[in-house]
Amino acid sequence: MMILVGLVVTFLGFIISVASLGMTSSVEGRMVAVLLGIVVSLVGIIGVLGRYYSSKAIWRK
Amino acid sequence: MTKTSMTKSSLLLLGLILSLTPHGAAQTPAAAPPATSAAPAAAAPPPAPPGTPITDADLKSIPTPAADARAKGDPDGSLTGNVSDIAVADPITDKTPKAKGLTIGDMANQVGQNKVAINFMWTLITGFLVMFMQAGFAIVETGLCRAKNANHTMMMNFMVYGVGMLAYWLIGFAVQEGGVGAVLNLGNSPVLSKEFVVTIMGKPWGMFGQGAFFLTHNGAYDVFAMVLFLFQMVFMDTALTIVTGAAAERWKYAAFMVSSFVMGAFIYPLYANWAWGGGWLANLGANYGLGKGYADFAGSGVVHAVGGITALAVGLIIGPRIGKFTRDGKPVAMPGHDLVIVLTGCFILAFGWFGFNPGSTLGASGNGNLRIGSVAVDTMLAGMAGSFGAMLYMWLRYGKPDASMTGNGLLAGLVAITAPSGFVNTVGACIIGLIAGVLVCLSVEFVEKVMKVDDPVGAISVHGTNGLWGVIAVGLFADGKSNYGGSWGGVTGNVTGLFYGDPGQLVAQLIGVSTLVGFVFTFAFVINWVIDLVIGQRVGAKAELEGLDLPEMGALCYPEFELKAHSAGAA
Repeated sequence: MMILVGLVVTFLGFIISVASLGMTSSVEGRMVAVLLGIVVSLVGIIGVLGRYYSSKAIWRK
Repeated sequence: MTKTSMTKSSLLLLGLILSLTPHGAAQTPAAAPPATSAAPAAAAPPPAPPGTPITDADLKSIPTPAADARAKGDPDGSLTGNVSDIAVADPITDKTPKAKGLTIGDMANQVGQNKVAINFMWTLITGFLVMFMQAGFAIVETGLCRAKNANHTMMMNFMVYGVGMLAYWLIGFAVQEGGVGAVLNLGNSPVLSKEFVVTIMGKPWGMFGQGAFFLTHNGAYDVFAMVLFLFQMVFMDTALTIVTGAAAERWKYAAFMVSSFVMGAFIYPLYANWAWGGGWLANLGANYGLGKGYADFAGSGVVHAVGGITALAVGLIIGPRIGKFTRDGKPVAMPGHDLVIVLTGCFILAFGWFGFNPGSTLGASGNGNLRIGSVAVDTMLAGMAGSFGAMLYMWLRYGKPDASMTGNGLLAGLVAITAPSGFVNTVGACIIGLIAGVLVCLSVEFVEKVMKVDDPVGAISVHGTNGLWGVIAVGLFADGKSNYGGSWGGVTGNVTGLFYGDPGQLVAQLIGVSTLVGFVFTFAFVINWVIDLVIGQRVGAKAELEGLDLPEMGALCYPEFELKAHSAGAA
């Protein structure tokens, strides 16, 4: 379940970045949205997937 | 023939070629670069006399070396290569005395073919250099692994070449380049023009190519397609071999084969299409006014970040090696077995990078391609700065100039300059490389100590982190001085970063970064997760402790050496 959550969050960041192209035509607005998208994706990879796999790691057993 | 008459004829031939060049090749930039004030007027070549038409009769009057002169040999090369070497469409012979003989059309065709021939040669030879990087990767990764896994690590690096090439020939090249369209430097062939396009937010988005499957589909049995395939194939294989380093010492060989095939067929080509094959990222400038669109000159993002991010996905799924972390999560150093081959491999890679970056012009003649010198110098400087950055960081932080991290610093600098190498000056290249050298050390620590991901060779940090840094660096440091035919990504003008006045270019680059971490990671993770569920990514604990050479490959790499107990994993 956590894997799916992590993948969805990671992919959501990409969607946010791409959606910025249609949401605004200002460079500043797009930059903020794209940076937000990158942060969301990193949260998905590091905060969700990374934490999940770390909790199940072989060295904890 | 006298030497004087030969000189005159050579000058006439040169004048003819120069006067024909603008008509023979479509290389005039849309915005001509301004003349430099430093160039003295006296140094400029004398202008051709206006209104002097060149006729076929002029060509026929050009003397050729006499047969008896040629029969004596040509030790200084002055007689070899002359008007008689120009291919004639309608030659005069004993049987065809009324044929046209040498015409201006023949001359123009020869000029055009010479340009394309130079560019074919350049692209092929630089591709050969990139191919040799496989050897560098193989020994860097093997040297950084323990001796008990040397055969296995070497075999992964050896066969990733074959597996990747097969996948790319069957599917990958068509997905990546099937819709790239005509490439000006390589003869303007129209055979790769079938891109699948969808309309999103009112704009055309190129999604993937559809031509050139098996290099035969849609007229791809074509000299241009062959040259492009060779060059792009070795780039793709570079991305694939990055993953083998991060997953080394515990990757099941069968899983490696399947994972690499899928990556060569789909994961890499898809992103490469978006960036290089006429896809939507390259057109962010034309469609949304973001600079000149996503600009990745030689592949910091396309090659290295795709490889590094896929390596992260596989690294998460496959888990750390037994003994890499203590029970409280503290990382344990697992030194490689041969620093000599590690640093030798780094040198081989640095040598191959002179194919990677300068070769990405896809030509040496026309369309601003003489910038290859600048691209090559930027490449070597960034590598130098990267090795300094890493060495000094390790020296200051840990008291010793760590050899393997210094090698990784060199590679990090080279990875980071790969995207910007075509757009930045030498100062920018040094700054990019220096930051990369420090960044790779910080990233290795973060991946190991915070994420608890085991990456035996530092591939995620060298290629993933610094690949992303290279993509961003284009949006910061591109100085707007390069001119590859006067436009990039379908937008007139030169690629210019934030520091030189175009914030839109940085946004385009960041969208590329977001695509890499948001889409490519997800795609690669799902593929490798499925492989894990179906055939399993990881070897058993017994095989891992014993070393993978015997259980996976059936033979030890060093059968005459007795490995130490801790090296064999017993401790």
